[in-house]
Amino acid sequence: MITSEVTFDELASLMKQAAGITVDPQELKQSAESPFDVFGLDSLGLLGIVGELENRYGTSLPPDSERCRTPREFLNLVNSTLTAGA
Amino acid sequence: MTRRVAVTGIGVVAPGGIGATAFWDLLAAGRTATRGISLFDPAGLRSRIAAECDFDPFEHGLDADLCQHADRYIQFAAVAAAEAVRHSGLDTGATDPWRTAVSLGSAVGGTTRLEHDYVLVSEGGRRWDVDHRRAEPKLHLAFSPSTLASVVAERFDARGPVQTVSTGCTSGLDAVGYAFHTIAEGRADVCIAGASDSPISPITMACFDAIKATSPNNDDPEHASRPFDARRDGFVMGEGAAVLVLEEYEHARARGAEILCEISGYATYGNAYHMTGLTSEGLEMARAIDTTLDQARIDPTLIDYVNAHGSGTRQNDRHETAAVKRSLGAHAHETPMSSIKSMVGHSLGAIGAIEVVACVLALKHQVVPPTANYETPDPECDLDYVPRTARPRKLNHVLSVGSGFGGFQSAVLLSGPGGRTR
Amino acid sequence: MSNRRPGRAAVTGIGVVAPNGLRTDAYWKSVREGLSVLDLISREGCDHLPLRVAGEVRAFDPAALIEDRFLVQTDRFSHFAMAAAALALDDAGLGGEPADPFSVGVVTAAGSGGGEFGQRELQKLWGKGSKFVGPYQSIAWFYAASTGQISIRGGLKGPCGVVASDEAGGLDSLAHASRAVGRGTDVMVVGATEAPLAPYSMVCQLGYPELSTLDDPARAYRPFTEKACGFVPAEGGALLVVEDEDRARERGAPVRAFVAGHAATFTGASRWAESREGLARAIRGALDEAGCAPEEIDVVFADALGVPEADRAEALAIADALGAHGTRVPVTAPKTGIGRAHCAAPVLDTVAAVLAMEHGQVPPTPNVFDICHDLDLVMSRARPAELRTALVLSRGLMGSNAALVVRRGDDSAR
Repeated sequence: MITSEVTFDELASLMKQAAGITVDPQELKQSAESPFDVFGLDSLGLLGIVGELENRYGTSLPPDSERCRTPREFLNLVNSTLTAGA
Repeated sequence: MTRRVAVTGIGVVAPGGIGATAFWDLLAAGRTATRGISLFDPAGLRSRIAAECDFDPFEHGLDADLCQHADRYIQFAAVAAAEAVRHSGLDTGATDPWRTAVSLGSAVGGTTRLEHDYVLVSEGGRRWDVDHRRAEPKLHLAFSPSTLASVVAERFDARGPVQTVSTGCTSGLDAVGYAFHTIAEGRADVCIAGASDSPISPITMACFDAIKATSPNNDDPEHASRPFDARRDGFVMGEGAAVLVLEEYEHARARGAEILCEISGYATYGNAYHMTGLTSEGLEMARAIDTTLDQARIDPTLIDYVNAHGSGTRQNDRHETAAVKRSLGAHAHETPMSSIKSMVGHSLGAIGAIEVVACVLALKHQVVPPTANYETPDPECDLDYVPRTARPRKLNHVLSVGSGFGGFQSAVLLSGPGGRTR
Repeated sequence: MSNRRPGRAAVTGIGVVAPNGLRTDAYWKSVREGLSVLDLISREGCDHLPLRVAGEVRAFDPAALIEDRFLVQTDRFSHFAMAAAALALDDAGLGGEPADPFSVGVVTAAGSGGGEFGQRELQKLWGKGSKFVGPYQSIAWFYAASTGQISIRGGLKGPCGVVASDEAGGLDSLAHASRAVGRGTDVMVVGATEAPLAPYSMVCQLGYPELSTLDDPARAYRPFTEKACGFVPAEGGALLVVEDEDRARERGAPVRAFVAGHAATFTGASRWAESREGLARAIRGALDEAGCAPEEIDVVFADALGVPEADRAEALAIADALGAHGTRVPVTAPKTGIGRAHCAAPVLDTVAAVLAMEHGQVPPTPNVFDICHDLDLVMSRARPAELRTALVLSRGLMGSNAALVVRRGDDSAR
């Protein structure tokens, strides 16, 4: 089960792994309110990240997670779900 | 050179009905053929429902080799083609084989067989360096997408241009469209045209699971395919095939064939937007409709029925509604538009051809098939979707439209026999 | 869409990703010199398979030619296609988004799809479970992937199509494009790329009776010889820009060649003796559409399958269709140096034909030194010749036959 929250570092590496998007974690953090498409991440990429997190933590994320528009919104939702389930 | 293109025969293998008669009975009654998957064990999948064909190849006069070795989608196509050729009364022995073409579509081709043998050679997904000695014979026929058109061409001795079309979910419309061009532009006099797919397999179901495009309504499969309904939650996978005999108009008349209707226009465009995404404007599908009507010199107000792509995803239904309103203007609100995917599911590449055959039957019976399961209107989809019950209507010009992954937007226009203005 | 009468279909751009050269210049240099790059297959997981020799595109670095995300989101065959399309559009002077997106369409031929991507996802599904299948499987494995990606990347909304065919589909795609131009589309990006050398894709191809399983790269693919023992597969391919001639003239783009005529027939899978008549009819049909007499053909790019019965049928078909000229016209098969990249094979041949006409040289047929058919096959070294019209032939393993007539373009383009 979860030991720590999903960080911007982890999200950046997930974006690389699941969708091939290279983004500097610092930049992701600084622009956390920018829409994902600014970073080049499309809807399929976000679905891939959700799937990877679900597999990694063995839990389902809410349907809203794949509709999140920004990194901040996404991490807030994911972390509140994962910590609630812990 | 532009020659008129007649439809002289149809054949269909669809969920809930094999053969044109059974297929039309299903549509006219508004019955649904969606159910829990029986073709494999779907445990663990998000969407475990589909519209399956109750199909036994041995019951349909296929030779032993096709029954034993051919992929299911090839068998579907062979059966549908045989029905269409029989229906057309075409004597393939008396027709110049070099002037007979084949144009068949499929989105995923032999993937079901490819997956089956993959499991064998990889020892259940354990090895990358797969062991070829475990593969079953004739696997190359599943690998090659042109097997589809090749098998049908051999059966009916077609020696003209033979092609397989694979434009995702518009494959069926585009295969009919390519056939239309082939005859209209003089490269053949007869074309066996249509599409087939049998995508109800773990890999295809899993890949649509991954993008949450398919309905998870596993508890109520009969009502899971709900195009244009506010409570829709994705498409329901289907399978099947449909084949038409297209023929140069005078060629058909000269042999005294019954002309069921004409294909009077076709166009396709890319949306250059996203591999799976659709805009809410519907600009490119509207362009396909406009070009199709231009070709046929048909005013948009003459369209009597739109056979929708109507997959039952939110983005599709809005995109398509916008496109039809853009092309037909105020007339869109007076034009019934229904989706037979509500009844037979979405058979990927095959469905475009199945829908064209549904249009041929609608013209024949002068009845608009309904959108089953449509109960709760979506404020953003405000056209007449022909809820649940088939509707008698005078039909002359009928439009079938489709969208596919990759951005393909296609339209085919059918016009009743003798009803085409030129 | 324009109201003017469409002009001829002109080739104004070429992009190549071939085993013997990335980009057009490198490809032509190898083709002209008759370089053979056939070699033992080096891809991971393939060592143990009885298919030993192929033409691999080893120098290709997708990251240098397309955005990183596509390395994760699409298969190698689409990487090739996107790179070749961009090279072709640049060559045509059409880089950047078109002013009218509906004026530029895309059609590709595809015979093997995204097999490597598909094998990875199948391994996840069957090795780990359905939840491990990624979202890009739905758009990477299918045959339409390359057309879709090229259209989206370039902002190209014109007619888009995919011929999923055997080898001859490569020529069919060129015909599709020139006909789309004939119906009023200004520009078509057209061609084929293939990547059939992943382990499972190779296993799937083992059933083709025409496949060469020899393990000596110099002897594995020698059509028209007494030692012919089948063909070897290849990856890579080419995309071309085919454009309305008048439109090309208006914008001052050099015309490299014209797609003048095409015809296709079908004579059944592996019925090579019958392909004689089918191919001859396709040649006559293509000449007819081009308004071209047999004697006008200055060079033939042969299908050259490497199966004795098929080679014989092709030699006879050339004689049947071209008459006495058939035994005098130079014939070549540069693909013996790179292998047959399924649908992309005849597209690469078409590119070679355009380049041969531009350079006034018939390239040789690598690895072939002594033939047993009545053909003037160009061997060992390129032969200088004034070339105005080329005939490209292709036959598919599932039974299609196709012929394409290509005419020389402007002298200024050379």
